[in-house]
Amino acid sequence: MAEAPALSVQGLTTEFRIGGQWHAAIRGIDFDLGKNETLALVGESGCGKSITALSIMGLIPKAAGRIAAGKILFEGQDLAQLDEEHLREIRGDRIAMIFQEPMTSLNPVLTIGFQVAEALRYHRGMSQAEARTHALELLEQVKIPSARQRLDDYPHQFSGGMRQRVMIAMALACKPQILLADEPTTALDVTIQAQVLLLLAELKQLYGMSMIFISHNLGVVATIADRVAVMYAGEIVETAAVGDLFDRPTHPYTEALLSSIPRVDRTSDTLMAIPGQVPAINRMPGGCRYAPRCALRQPVCERPPALAPVSGSAPTHLARCWVRAGGDR
Amino acid sequence: MSAVTGDMAAAPPRANRALRQLLAAFNTNKTSWVGLATFAVVVAIAILAPVLATHDPIEQNILEKLKGPSAEFILGTDGFGRDIWSRLVYGARLSLWIGGVSILIAMVVGSLIGMVAGYFGGRLDIAIMQVMDVLLSFPSLILGLMVVAMMGPSVGNLIFAIALTAIPPFARIARAPTVSVKERDYIEACRALGYSHPRIMAVHILPNIFPEILVMGSLWLATAIRVEASLSFIGLGVRPPTPTWGGMIREGFENILDTWWLSMAPSVAILVVVFALNMIGDGLRDFVDPKLKGERGG
Amino acid sequence: MLQYLIKRLLYAVPTLLAVLTVVFFVARVLPGDPAQVMLGEQAGAEAIQALRVRLGLDRPLVEQYVDFMQGALSGDWGTSLVTGRSVLGEVLNVIPFTIELTLASILLGALIGVPLGAWSALHRNSLVDYATRIGSLFGLSFPAFVMAIMLLLAFAIQLDWFPVISSGGGGSVSERLLHLALPAVNLGIIMAAYITRVTRSSMLEVLGEDYVRTARAKGVPHRAVVWQHCLRNALIPVVTVVGLYLGILIGNSVLTEIVFNRPGLGKLIVGALTQRDYTMLQGLMVVYTFIIVVVNLLTDLTYGFIDPRVKYQ
Repeated sequence: MAEAPALSVQGLTTEFRIGGQWHAAIRGIDFDLGKNETLALVGESGCGKSITALSIMGLIPKAAGRIAAGKILFEGQDLAQLDEEHLREIRGDRIAMIFQEPMTSLNPVLTIGFQVAEALRYHRGMSQAEARTHALELLEQVKIPSARQRLDDYPHQFSGGMRQRVMIAMALACKPQILLADEPTTALDVTIQAQVLLLLAELKQLYGMSMIFISHNLGVVATIADRVAVMYAGEIVETAAVGDLFDRPTHPYTEALLSSIPRVDRTSDTLMAIPGQVPAINRMPGGCRYAPRCALRQPVCERPPALAPVSGSAPTHLARCWVRAGGDR
Repeated sequence: MSAVTGDMAAAPPRANRALRQLLAAFNTNKTSWVGLATFAVVVAIAILAPVLATHDPIEQNILEKLKGPSAEFILGTDGFGRDIWSRLVYGARLSLWIGGVSILIAMVVGSLIGMVAGYFGGRLDIAIMQVMDVLLSFPSLILGLMVVAMMGPSVGNLIFAIALTAIPPFARIARAPTVSVKERDYIEACRALGYSHPRIMAVHILPNIFPEILVMGSLWLATAIRVEASLSFIGLGVRPPTPTWGGMIREGFENILDTWWLSMAPSVAILVVVFALNMIGDGLRDFVDPKLKGERGG
Repeated sequence: MLQYLIKRLLYAVPTLLAVLTVVFFVARVLPGDPAQVMLGEQAGAEAIQALRVRLGLDRPLVEQYVDFMQGALSGDWGTSLVTGRSVLGEVLNVIPFTIELTLASILLGALIGVPLGAWSALHRNSLVDYATRIGSLFGLSFPAFVMAIMLLLAFAIQLDWFPVISSGGGGSVSERLLHLALPAVNLGIIMAAYITRVTRSSMLEVLGEDYVRTARAKGVPHRAVVWQHCLRNALIPVVTVVGLYLGILIGNSVLTEIVFNRPGLGKLIVGALTQRDYTMLQGLMVVYTFIIVVVNLLTDLTYGFIDPRVKYQ
């Protein structure tokens, strides 16, 4: 990549304390996020997608979690080393985040106008009136009908889709360079999902942002992402440009995820659920973490595989599998 | 048929699990054990009162009045020359007896009311719970005070008054699980087998709610002992010369400028018992009210 | 808001009727003859019968009930057997003192309890948190009269900072405050113990809420997260508990008024008890009924004030 990436995550490992012991929830996460690029993090719940995003934001709860290793490079600074006050200055200003649950992510006792204006007041030092005017523009931008009247309404007076639009307006308030969207449409009805996705894509163009889009749904990812990183049990198991990944899914887990998407061009009886569950973070297998659920399991899978280029695909297409990508045998 | 018995066999382990959870809650909270140990000591003292008392708690001996602590009178004597230590241990008996019996009655009656309301549902349920809410809105002390004032102070009336104020919380606690349990398959099966309502409630519902009722009981026992002492202090307790902690405090208080120290020993006694019971309940409160458990959003 | 108010007021009516019925039940239906209790064990049968007639206890229960309810609802709460003055008049004389005491102790309890509970939650499992939890548990284990006696001994008798008999104070504000101080501290500490515990647990819950994470993700400073985003949400259950404990507070104020010899409803009740003033007692029960219903109403209204969701439910 010629241009410097907007964000570079290198060897990121975040641990949580369970019963007095630290266990890695994500381990050795590497990726670059280019300017104007949309990177999708994909995987089942519990695979570490949200932890990755929260680590970047510096929002890992301090009592139970810590960034144990790795760098998060942004504008020449390592966010992993930054103190809370400096992180706070970046959060909501240059890096913003949208959360999954629009129903619980807005404060029930504060008005929408207040909550949207808040970031502007802290990061831009705007007066209450200025921030309010600006908040109104933002609400109009995310297409909330009769926004002026709704500025003083409370979250419970909005539908789920409208609340997610409010969340987007909040995140965009300071025109961030990077937007982290954690399953922004999962909790919404299918028709509303499409509208919100469209809105996000539009606004990303308009603002010239980079975006990390987190989803468990490869179908959604196909429509919005440039590049995909598939995560499993705290590791990236496959990463590729979106086209390469869909053309040539390599890791058995990616394959399984793809076959679990309902598609019009396939009959429903081939729609598979993946047997088994993501292992708990204090019970990780020593070798390939997917091995216990994998149909292609070999003796070599007892040892941990590394991300390796997928032969016959683009050089940026990597997979973490002894059997399919060869690993570094 | 075998499927039915299989379903019914699932009921008792559920109760065991609840008891195990209760024990686990106990173990994670050390203060609960401290409270339980302290309370056990007080109960032992009350039971052993005739052995531990060095004097007759009622017999007056004016020649020995208002003596300080000595070998003969461990905590000294009161204005009638009665041994304070002996009155204290017999007072423990009365306090625990009135508190214990009234809470036991409230537990039994309250659970029954709650179970009946929850089990039969409908208008009966609404009516019963409405009455419970009304009773609950009355402060224990005021209701107790009214009842005793109208009926006259006696051990029986005190127990009745305190039990009355403590019934609603038990009814509430018993009702909610009953409503959910009665919908389960094995209850249907019991009905199909022709078991009577009382039997179904006793065998299949009671074990499920028992641990919660026990925890609630420890919390309300603290209230009961406090209310009894308060009523005795006001002068509505068991009549003198029977030793009651509240009454003993009152004796010291009436001449607070001269004999204030008469109030101290019974004050400490009440404080220790109520604090011990609250410590027991403290760690177990989460067990009763799952809402208070720190639910964290994902 | 007005609609909510009217709805709440309408809800209060059946509660009031129900509680008054409970009072009637306690006063007339429970075993135990008030006339006998009033006149004592030695009273002759004729004297008891005469008092029964005078109190109307010899009439059919239904008739008594109708009379009682009419009287209670129309504000005719009877006249004292001893002084011959109306119960309402006696109550109006002393109620300012009780209200003053109750409000002061709630204020004190909230001023101590809310910050302490919030602070304890923010420093969960620290030494101070642990001390706060044990301390508040200890505080609410105090029977009100026990703590009152200790305060009286320490600060009024030994140190002589406050009057021993809190007659309520004369005209001047400072004197009134001086008389209010110890009783209010007594009830305030117990109230603070309750409020600390509820604030702590509800704050802990709120700190784990998604919207707190959202606020932090916006870069809102820690202080503002706590004060603007958490505290107001955490206070919703606190209001419930304050409402519930107002009942306990009303009970405890009786004991406090006795110990500090302070005029108020509690003193009135105990006076009526010792003078066996049956009509006064019954009237006071009605008074308490109204107080409790009003308190519940106020609690509900406070919700509407801090929780915007309530108005629209």
